Amino acid sequence: MADSPHRLALFTSGAVVGLVLLLCLVALVVPYDPASAVDLSVRDQGPSAAHIFGTDSQGRDVAIRVLEATEAFFLPGLLAALLAVIAGALAGAITGYLVGPVREAVLWLLQLTDTLPRLVFIILVCTILEPTMGLIALVTGVLFIPSVATVIRRKVEALGSEDYILAHIAHGFPPWRILLYHIVWLQCRSMLVRQATFVFSYVLFVETALSYLGDYGVPEPDPSWGNMVAQAKSLGAQHLSPWLFPAIAIIITISATLAFGNLVARGDEEAAR
Amino acid sequence: MTTPLLEIRDLVIEFDTRDGRRRVVDGVSLTLDEGEVLGILGESGSGKTMTTQAVLGLVDGRPGVMGGHILLHDGDQIHDLTGGLGDFIRPARREGDPPRKDVRRWRRRVHQQMRGLWGRTMTAVFQHPRASLDPLMTVGAQVCESARLADPALDRAAARDRAIAWLERVQMNDPLRVYGSYAHELSGGMCQRAMVAVALARKPRLLIADEPTTGLDTTVRAEIVELFRDLLAKHTRSMLYISHDIREVLYLADRVIVMRHGRIVETATAADLRHGIGARHEYTAMLLAAADLHPGAAA
Repeated sequence: MADSPHRLALFTSGAVVGLVLLLCLVALVVPYDPASAVDLSVRDQGPSAAHIFGTDSQGRDVAIRVLEATEAFFLPGLLAALLAVIAGALAGAITGYLVGPVREAVLWLLQLTDTLPRLVFIILVCTILEPTMGLIALVTGVLFIPSVATVIRRKVEALGSEDYILAHIAHGFPPWRILLYHIVWLQCRSMLVRQATFVFSYVLFVETALSYLGDYGVPEPDPSWGNMVAQAKSLGAQHLSPWLFPAIAIIITISATLAFGNLVARGDEEAAR
Repeated sequence: MTTPLLEIRDLVIEFDTRDGRRRVVDGVSLTLDEGEVLGILGESGSGKTMTTQAVLGLVDGRPGVMGGHILLHDGDQIHDLTGGLGDFIRPARREGDPPRKDVRRWRRRVHQQMRGLWGRTMTAVFQHPRASLDPLMTVGAQVCESARLADPALDRAAARDRAIAWLERVQMNDPLRVYGSYAHELSGGMCQRAMVAVALARKPRLLIADEPTTGLDTTVRAEIVELFRDLLAKHTRSMLYISHDIREVLYLADRVIVMRHGRIVETATAADLRHGIGARHEYTAMLLAAADLHPGAAA
């Protein structure tokens, strides 16, 4: 990680992710009542000193709503990422190491899950059940378990015949430790970081898509970047600020998160070399 | 009276190749006594490595061990490492084909059986030192892990001290620096020393050294052989030393077994071989002549 453009990129993307986390903490601490924020006297205003991102059709401050909306996806995204990575790593380790019916059963389940088209399946679940961010996060996390598991399983299978793993076995290191520490943690953690940031970004993307396509995301009047962007359908080009700022926030957050995951993982891989 | 530590009886190892089944180890029998160093000598393909892999339960390939017994004496207990092998071998589907073996289930059985034995009763130093060390762990962390497995009561600091002591015992220059280094930062000879430290920190009763000097420079090879000699003198241990270099084997071993084409062609004491006592198989005579041997010469 000696080259400075790399370090600059890591720093920038890390700063963006850190900023989003900070905003989310602020949003959690500062109470926001969407009803009392309505002020019809200042509706549909452009950016000004009083409202730096302008106001929406109900006179609510767009900047405050962009900030408060981080609460809607951050924790669910984290939950989905952790679920996918932890359950996926365990499933991958089990299927890579075991032989016999348990392995076959887990593999079958993983393959079955992997055949589901992600976005369509999430919409389906949301139409059947009460759509909440918790549910969306849970389903997203589960849907990403197979792709994490496959990566880990391949690695476990490939490393199983490496000299140093055989040496660990011969020294009598416990199998669970070889599997979970020496293979999954030491060899696969950069892959897991990449996958985790991808799943996190996917939750934000799904929430946006669901809000835009229908009312499956976060319901109004609670703010989410998705339901703010959905206002573009009615406002269009006449009035940009209520949907343009959250749209930019989505783009920046997703690309910074993916870049951050990638750069952290790459740094870890290079340090290991 | 010496007590046997390891007995191998009529070991047979076979592999399926494109041209049918090939027997790589064909009825090998040997005994290793407690505190003895047994050298196994042979060219590549003679089955010497496969024999030791079978002892370690790490034969990789199909069908692998197809017959014989490997008995490991562990205090009052005798473990038959190939016990129940017959249950996994079934007759061929077609007449004229060799018998089949359920390799996956057998491997799982071996792993279950070896779990309490690996490390505690025996461990190994392999051919490729750099590949045998975990690339993502410092050498020190690996020696520590080994030491803590041998002695679970050790706390972190004590394990560190013990690991450094082991790195000193394998004559590592600057053990503190090596403690924090990764395998790729060390030379081949240093990696092999580190590997020996990891293996010995586990306190095995039997150390299996499978061509530990192959792939090292000549001078480094001599150093590693000296290291083994030194360790054997200070910590009397049983060792199975596999090599294709007769001089190394004669220097270190008490007894020597010569293998060729999967069979044992000669068993003799190292002293007898060195002094030319007793009738020799022509292959052994050829090896001795080729090495132009002087008594006591190191690699």
